[in-house]
Amino acid sequence: MTLSISKKIIFYVLLIIFSLLVFSPALIALLMSFMSSQDIMTGKIIPTEFSFDNYAKVFDRFPLFQYLINSFIVSIVIMIGQLLLASLAAYAFVFLEFKGRDFIFFVFIATMMVPFEASIIPNFHTIRHLNWLDHYNGLTIPFFATAFGTFLLRQNFKQIPTELKEASQIAGIGEFKYYLTVVLPMAKTSLITLGVYGFVTSWNMYLWPLLATTNDSVRTVQIGLRQLQSQEQLNEWGVIMAGAIIVVVPTLILLFLGQSKLQKGLTEGAIK
Amino acid sequence: MRKRKYLLGAFMLLLALFIVGCSNKSNGNEGEENNGTQTVTFWHSMGGAAQEALNSIVEEYNQSQDKVTVNAEFQGTYDEALTKFHSVAGTDSAPTMMQVFEIGTKSMVNSGFIEPIQTFVDEDNYDMSGLEENIINYYKIDDTFYSMPFNSSTPVMYYNKDAFKAAGLDPEIAPTTYKEVIDVSKKITEANPKMKGFALQAYGWLYEQLLANQGALLMNNDNGRTDTPTEVGFTDEQGKSVFNWVKQMIDDETFANYGTNGDNMVAGFLAGDVAMFMQSSASARDVIDNAPFEVGVAFIPYPESIERQGVVIGGASLWMIKDKSEAEQKAAWDFMKYLQTPEIQAKWHVGTGYFAVNPAAYEKQEVKDAYEKMPQLQVTVEQLQSTKSSYATQGALMDMIPEARRISETALETVYNGGDIDKAYKDMVKQMNEAIETANKARK
Amino acid sequence: MNEIAYQPEFQTSVNFTKEKKKQRISNLIKGILFLLPSILLFGVFLFYPMGKTIYLSFFLTDNRGDPTLFVGLENYVKIFQSSNFLQSLKSTLLFALFTVPGTILVSLVLAILANEKLRGIGVFRTIFSSTMGISVAAASVFWMFLFHPTIGWLNRIVEAMGFEAVGWLTDPDWALLSVSISTIWMNIGFTFLILLGGLQSIDSYLYESADIDGAGYFYKLRRITIPMLSPTLFFVLTVTLINAFQTFGQVDMLTRGGPQNETNLIVYSIYQEAFMNYQFGTASAQAIILFIIILLLTLVQFKLGERKVHYQ
Repeated sequence: MTLSISKKIIFYVLLIIFSLLVFSPALIALLMSFMSSQDIMTGKIIPTEFSFDNYAKVFDRFPLFQYLINSFIVSIVIMIGQLLLASLAAYAFVFLEFKGRDFIFFVFIATMMVPFEASIIPNFHTIRHLNWLDHYNGLTIPFFATAFGTFLLRQNFKQIPTELKEASQIAGIGEFKYYLTVVLPMAKTSLITLGVYGFVTSWNMYLWPLLATTNDSVRTVQIGLRQLQSQEQLNEWGVIMAGAIIVVVPTLILLFLGQSKLQKGLTEGAIK
Repeated sequence: MRKRKYLLGAFMLLLALFIVGCSNKSNGNEGEENNGTQTVTFWHSMGGAAQEALNSIVEEYNQSQDKVTVNAEFQGTYDEALTKFHSVAGTDSAPTMMQVFEIGTKSMVNSGFIEPIQTFVDEDNYDMSGLEENIINYYKIDDTFYSMPFNSSTPVMYYNKDAFKAAGLDPEIAPTTYKEVIDVSKKITEANPKMKGFALQAYGWLYEQLLANQGALLMNNDNGRTDTPTEVGFTDEQGKSVFNWVKQMIDDETFANYGTNGDNMVAGFLAGDVAMFMQSSASARDVIDNAPFEVGVAFIPYPESIERQGVVIGGASLWMIKDKSEAEQKAAWDFMKYLQTPEIQAKWHVGTGYFAVNPAAYEKQEVKDAYEKMPQLQVTVEQLQSTKSSYATQGALMDMIPEARRISETALETVYNGGDIDKAYKDMVKQMNEAIETANKARK
Repeated sequence: MNEIAYQPEFQTSVNFTKEKKKQRISNLIKGILFLLPSILLFGVFLFYPMGKTIYLSFFLTDNRGDPTLFVGLENYVKIFQSSNFLQSLKSTLLFALFTVPGTILVSLVLAILANEKLRGIGVFRTIFSSTMGISVAAASVFWMFLFHPTIGWLNRIVEAMGFEAVGWLTDPDWALLSVSISTIWMNIGFTFLILLGGLQSIDSYLYESADIDGAGYFYKLRRITIPMLSPTLFFVLTVTLINAFQTFGQVDMLTRGGPQNETNLIVYSIYQEAFMNYQFGTASAQAIILFIIILLLTLVQFKLGERKVHYQ
């Protein structure tokens, strides 16, 4: 579908306008993170002088590096956990036939409709009983089971031709080996998709990590962002924006790198 | 093949992290000795600039001696922190001491998991009379001191002195009654149509304060101080006076509506969109520092038909948690005492704008210097010290006040947005009474 | 043929059923093993809390969340009589009405634009998907500032155009819309990616044959793109709808449920009831009602959707 020049121009113009609209909140935040409180209060658009003061303050306020590392650890662990559990569960739903399979699958899907915030207090008590407060376990293990991930992978696994399974059965390959050596490699795109999605959603969690931690040892970076805001005094917008930028940069980079694979993988789950 | 190695690697990583995590048993056992010092876990809700000030004080304390190490840990907003506390009270995960907002007082007392500081006051023969009476009275129930005040504030009225001058008003004289505020607001908007006269953040605390200033009780049974409340304590006239006052200004088009957002209100003031507003004294420094004009601070207004009664102390206090080792509690008590010394109080007061609980702090040089540069700061102290002591100004004691605040905020917003006053008021009272009833039923 | 085949069939049929049974049991065991970790975690962190929630919804509770007084269905009755809850329901439905079509429409337009094979299209695609990497906390900070009545950019633009400043988050007429706008923005990244993928998997020969017939741009859009995209649209619709009903973060940071409970979406109302009012009983009742609503809506959607979606 090659287009005429005039059509191309229209497209480019539209694309640029929309890009600006979509990206402007982040851009504005970036600009503000370099401004002083005075500048912000008086409503300047471009800082009178670019200063990294706000960023320095953010590092001062709370142990930012610690939080960043915690966020990384928590996100990666959850990502791996989800990949494991979702792929195992999806395998069962696709390649194994047993009574009640479809019913259990429906129950899985139903879990997506339970609002997490409603189950927070009982979960908090459970974590406390297990002594998992202030512990990576408390922040990660509850999230290993994912209905969305299972759903996504199931749709993808279904595309693997059944002849392969039959061939493997004749060859005497066990279920687990088949899973490891055939299914997983063929579902690479979906796995990467789920991985990126899992990482990003874990990185963005803030209510649960706030509740499940009482000190800074395993706290994540979203809580730090909350800490920058004050209840009884004026908000320092410059510092808050700097904090927001810091929080957002890692996931943006990850997204940028995995974007094309992510898009393919998400689609395959959606169409079929 | 790559997948297999990848999985194996993932397993190892998980295992390693698990092991690391297990050994990372930081605050499971609090009373532990930390390099030979006694550890004290201190839960607080100070964010923003106040957190900086708090952290520096804690660090100084830790460095000044080698017997006690205080770990100050941020737990979210006052609401979130209190919820967390209720979930861990009575277990190992509970902290040694905790900062709780003033309306959480009854909730803490009811929990049964706190140790009133009276115990330590008696043991130590600590002289509470050296501290500001109007502040400690809030936390005294039946002649027992339950918690140690820490960051206290009161509401004040800020006004734009330059705008007053421009409207032909004396910048040194602020309006004192509701009627005067109405009149001044009209003059302001006449002189400058772009500027509104007055803003009142839809904040339950401010409403409570305006009630107290009239001598009105928030809850019955002497504001809950002689017995558990069963319904609201203010009369229709007292409760509605605020609504009517605001409505007058809305009709005059002199009222600036910022809803529940205090930050926006202050920003509006600083930008010259509104000439007067009510807020916590804790913001005084920030407001005065950031304003491109001269800022005046005044007492909060009252209806002209009654006499000014004064204000209730706001902010938060420090609580000692029960069932910790004696050594741990003694260490926490030592830290609490440290926080009340004039030097630290002066530092805290000047650095944050919260009150000095110990009036001796006002004699300190840094406070005197600060007052010279900002004499407005003294007004906040004057308002507190001239408050007439009564059940109304002592403050209400009830565990569902957080809920009551939200109900009053909704009522205020309804009025701000042009709703019918009588209906808003009736709904508010009905909902508050229902909430009181439920809370009483649900308590063990 | 029957005579000859009868004997062997008779013999093997016995073994056959036995074999089948063995296979079925072994499959069941294998199935359970593969599913065990997920089921275990779901059980502990989802089903157990749900059970507890159902249980608590029949009680009044103390500050710790322990049930103190059995009240049967009273909590449910109280909720349906309370104007606040009915307001929450209304707000949540309205919110879903704003955000679901809003998100899909905007993302669709972006996806269609970004589907063109133009130079440098990758940059645009990255920008459009970027909102997926911005957490609710950070996004809310961005939008809190944009909506600021005095120094916020939106009001500055509005005033520059000669209109009066809008109380984006303080005016009950605007608040829900404002929260919806910020939510739509946050959802664009994810939805855009899915829709783009859907577009790219449409067979190009369909367009080529349409070109040969001389079809215009919008004709192709209407007759080819949208129908072929319908399975993807359906998926996006389901996910966005479920997410709309579970919105919490933005409300907590932008409006805290106000003004006048206009933005007190159900999940936030549950949170407030439990965490600030310590009424875990009524909060649990609200949670159960929410779950039932989402379940019903999803079932309805699937029933309707199956008929309208055009599969290959």
